[in-house]
Amino acid sequence: MTYVDKPTVSNVVKFDDPKVKKVKKITVMLNTGTDIYQGACKKRGSTLKDEYRKVAGVAYMDPKDMARLAVGNWESVKVKSDWGEVICYAAHSRDAPHEGMIFIPKGPWANVVVSPETYCCNDPTYKGIEATVEKSDKEVLLMADLMRSVYRKYTKNEKNVDELPSLGEMPVFTKK
Amino acid sequence: MVYEEPVTDYDHIVENCTCAFCGSNCDDLDYLVKGNHVVAVRHACRLGASKIMEDEDQRLKVPMMRDENGELQEVDWDTALDAAAELIANAVRPLFYGWSETSIECMKKGLELTEYVGAVIDNQATICHGPTVQAVQNVGYPLMSLGEVKNRADMVVYTGSNPMNAHPRHLARYSVFPRGWFRQRGRFDRTLVTWDPKFSDTAKMSDIWVPFEENGDYAFCNAIRAVLKGKELKEDVISGIPKQDIIDLTEAMKNVEFGALFFGLGLTHTLSKQRNIDIAIGLVQDLNAYTKWVLLPMRGHFNVNGFNIFMAYQMGFPYGVDFCRGYPRYMIGETTTVDLLNREEPDVFMVIAADPGAHFPGGANMHLANIPVIQIDIHWGPSTELADIVLPGTFIGVETAGTSYRMDSVPIHMKSAINPPETCREDEWIVNELYERVKKIKEEAK
Repeated sequence: MTYVDKPTVSNVVKFDDPKVKKVKKITVMLNTGTDIYQGACKKRGSTLKDEYRKVAGVAYMDPKDMARLAVGNWESVKVKSDWGEVICYAAHSRDAPHEGMIFIPKGPWANVVVSPETYCCNDPTYKGIEATVEKSDKEVLLMADLMRSVYRKYTKNEKNVDELPSLGEMPVFTKK
Repeated sequence: MVYEEPVTDYDHIVENCTCAFCGSNCDDLDYLVKGNHVVAVRHACRLGASKIMEDEDQRLKVPMMRDENGELQEVDWDTALDAAAELIANAVRPLFYGWSETSIECMKKGLELTEYVGAVIDNQATICHGPTVQAVQNVGYPLMSLGEVKNRADMVVYTGSNPMNAHPRHLARYSVFPRGWFRQRGRFDRTLVTWDPKFSDTAKMSDIWVPFEENGDYAFCNAIRAVLKGKELKEDVISGIPKQDIIDLTEAMKNVEFGALFFGLGLTHTLSKQRNIDIAIGLVQDLNAYTKWVLLPMRGHFNVNGFNIFMAYQMGFPYGVDFCRGYPRYMIGETTTVDLLNREEPDVFMVIAADPGAHFPGGANMHLANIPVIQIDIHWGPSTELADIVLPGTFIGVETAGTSYRMDSVPIHMKSAINPPETCREDEWIVNELYERVKKIKEEAK
């Protein structure tokens, strides 16, 4: 079976570790790139589904950083960089330890916070971006809702895009 | 994970199909077909299998256009093609982006259209291995075919790439695990080295992991080159790696019989961009003073290399080719997609077999919200949310045959196993149809 609910992550975040100092916000280096869960879901075409936000709308973090922020697996965090801010899930990284570094698989969520700057070299800077992470109580948006709220291509006149009903997990179009 | 019974309910098997996912282009897949559907795939990795057994819910099956409320509506092929041709014919600075997940035959038609309307044509290399292509133009390309690595290599280095996630069968089929002519014991005869700041899934199975710092690749490769040339390293720790480890690694690399360096986007996406690759290529050239070393970029899509080869052969430039003056021009940072979008230059954007909505930085995508976007693709993706006209193509390698180039520039024929959905059209047909219609509009206007 290639369909997954969400990536398998270990659950070892120690919130009661006395050595961990609780903070509201941490500054991290953001990296993006491919990941096998993201790749399989994207190329299968399941981008509207809940599965896609679980595999691409997720910040893989070091468990110590998660303990400092007091966030558990699959709780929401707000990632903010000079180019924008996005709500995504936090999850324990399979590649930990890497304190002070987070990884968001490439996708519409990562795009909001990566740098479009190419330094005249055609390739935008997808890796090594300074960002901050803090706990959030907002829900991670589905792909279609995220695209609508970020780019507002067909909702330019709407005042509050976030209050519109969700576009859901299936293609929305009028049949002939 | 639950145990699943093997699939036994199928009509027939189509053998030796080519995978349409990554640049490894595995050409040994068997598709189990039932009633014009692939119900199971043998030999493919998780990525390949998931792409071939696609999500039917999100398959684009009919042409669509946005109405005045911004909602997609099903239209017939003529209406959609005429509207798309009208947009292209009247555009001042059209940009045709994508092409890496379609066939060379389709690119040929695309190039004719681009040349005719004076557009910019570009592919995914512009956001992945573009710096690699620049570095190859700067310093050369000590490449090989993957068969050489399989039969000869006794040291394989991966840097800035995580093939266990992005090219899962690369190690198994070409580089580390297979038994080769001079490496009869397969994995046991080879040393696997990973240079990566992260303890990636590839690093976890490597013999040696070199965790240099983020953005430390440039200094690290230069340190190895300095040691190779007999220079003394003046610092004790370089890019987070102790001096003695660098000396030991250099010694190990000098003393192999055949080494292969594979590099990925970890090198091209960090700050030094093409200069990282310059140094990596320089390192391989220096190592050849002692023993045989080769290098290869880990290309992502199954035909991203094909576009670069095709364009370089046809027009002399690999990607980001601008025809607005009537002759091909190529200027990094000027005629490349992300720079054009950042400067808000294009007035029509056609995306074929690519997904800028999912893979371009938001800052660049913002311009797609201001201009008409034409999408030719097989699945409803993030780009469909920004597209004004959607034209459903067919799946190369499953529904339509075509030619693609593997990451080591070996051309491979991809055969078709099933028939495309009746309402879809081949990419090549769609692009040709757009060309004919644009020509008609332009000639009538004369």
